Amino acid sequence: MPKFFVYLGLTVIVLAMLPPALIARARTRNTDARRIHYIQDMDNQPKYRAQHANPIFADGRAMRPPVEGTISRTADVDAGHRGRGVVGGAWATTLPPELPMTMERLERGQERYEIYCTMCHGVAGYGDGIINKRANELMNNPAIGNGTAWVQPKNIHEPEIREQPVGQIFNSITNGIRNMSGYGAQIPVDDRWAIAAYVKALQRSQSARMEDVPPSRRGSLPVIDLMPAEEE
Amino acid sequence: MGRYHFVFPRWSNLLLPGALVVGAVTPLYVVLVVAYGFSPKTTDVGYEPAQPVPFSHALHAGELGMDCRYCHNTVERAAKAAIPPTQTCMNCHTQIHKDSPQIAPLLESYQSGNPIAWNRVHDLPDFAFFDHSAHVTRGVSCVSCHGRIDRMEVVYQHEPLSMGWCLECHRNPDEALRDPALVTDLGWTFEGTAEEAAAEQARWKELHQINPSQDCSTCHR
Repeated sequence: MPKFFVYLGLTVIVLAMLPPALIARARTRNTDARRIHYIQDMDNQPKYRAQHANPIFADGRAMRPPVEGTISRTADVDAGHRGRGVVGGAWATTLPPELPMTMERLERGQERYEIYCTMCHGVAGYGDGIINKRANELMNNPAIGNGTAWVQPKNIHEPEIREQPVGQIFNSITNGIRNMSGYGAQIPVDDRWAIAAYVKALQRSQSARMEDVPPSRRGSLPVIDLMPAEEE
Repeated sequence: MGRYHFVFPRWSNLLLPGALVVGAVTPLYVVLVVAYGFSPKTTDVGYEPAQPVPFSHALHAGELGMDCRYCHNTVERAAKAAIPPTQTCMNCHTQIHKDSPQIAPLLESYQSGNPIAWNRVHDLPDFAFFDHSAHVTRGVSCVSCHGRIDRMEVVYQHEPLSMGWCLECHRNPDEALRDPALVTDLGWTFEGTAEEAAAEQARWKELHQINPSQDCSTCHR
């Protein structure tokens, strides 16, 4: 057989192994190379969707920020109890009448508290969340801290905060206070009320006395002996 | 006539069996290369674009255990699990790591008001409609489509996100169902026997009346 045919055959075999090799590579490794769509169909249409970039505008946003002073149809424009936590010029001491206190709302508040608040304030509210722990580690180790300057989150059981009406707690969540940012844009208004309600419950739970427990339930409480008697 | 005779060389006897082999192997080869090469598992899975800020989900969602919804707070209410605004980052980073060069683009965005140009990792075709809220509020975990984001330093596409892949679950949703309160717990697994797990999944399916549509217009609207 002429050498030419042998070389041709070998070349074809080697070339034929290239696509499987490339496929195997693509299937086993991550890459920042653009995704390949052999058939484009209308995968990428010349239109702008939520959070797309649009070079026409100076800030690059396809979604245009509303003109200053715009009020959304769904915005909470209530300037009173539900929107501001204020009743008759003073902090509200109850939930808004539209949002009655129910066990369901408290549970919702707990769930939301554990999403948005626990990281800093801790599960029980003592200002000992994991972000606090991490930030202190960073602050105590300037080599990796990159200028971390952390103020411990408030312990919500401090007397000053324990005495705050629920409307004031709602306001702090909404607009922020001291080093804490406002969460008004991040958490819907009804959930903020649920969290405020849960915070009040949490505060009460940490200084609860037997008198706070309904008589019918007192018998079913687990007994924890905090000061066990010395063994004789 | 017949003065010159062309005599086929001896090796030409190999041509016929050789052609048969090539003829048998080539179609198989083409089918395999197309099947694997065109598969979204090859073309889409593993897309891991570099980001303008080296944000680590492994640190924030994994080590620190932040809930997905702290940042992607629209996921239960909207079709899109929005990329958070810079403000969300600055809830902590006005104080933490504030001088780090890695978060410099964050500060710049915070001061200028211009958004950070994150690179999109998960991108469905524009003719496919997907609603996050419909899935997560009914017990389909983030992990079903996004993988263990809480272990990713840099987020990459973990699933094909192809139509066939969507339909697999729409035809047989049971295994993707759990208590909606656990959807953001990416490492969660049911503790119990396979029968108990199936019963639990069936319970959530019944409770939320989950009967996923396979109509074209469900996703192509």
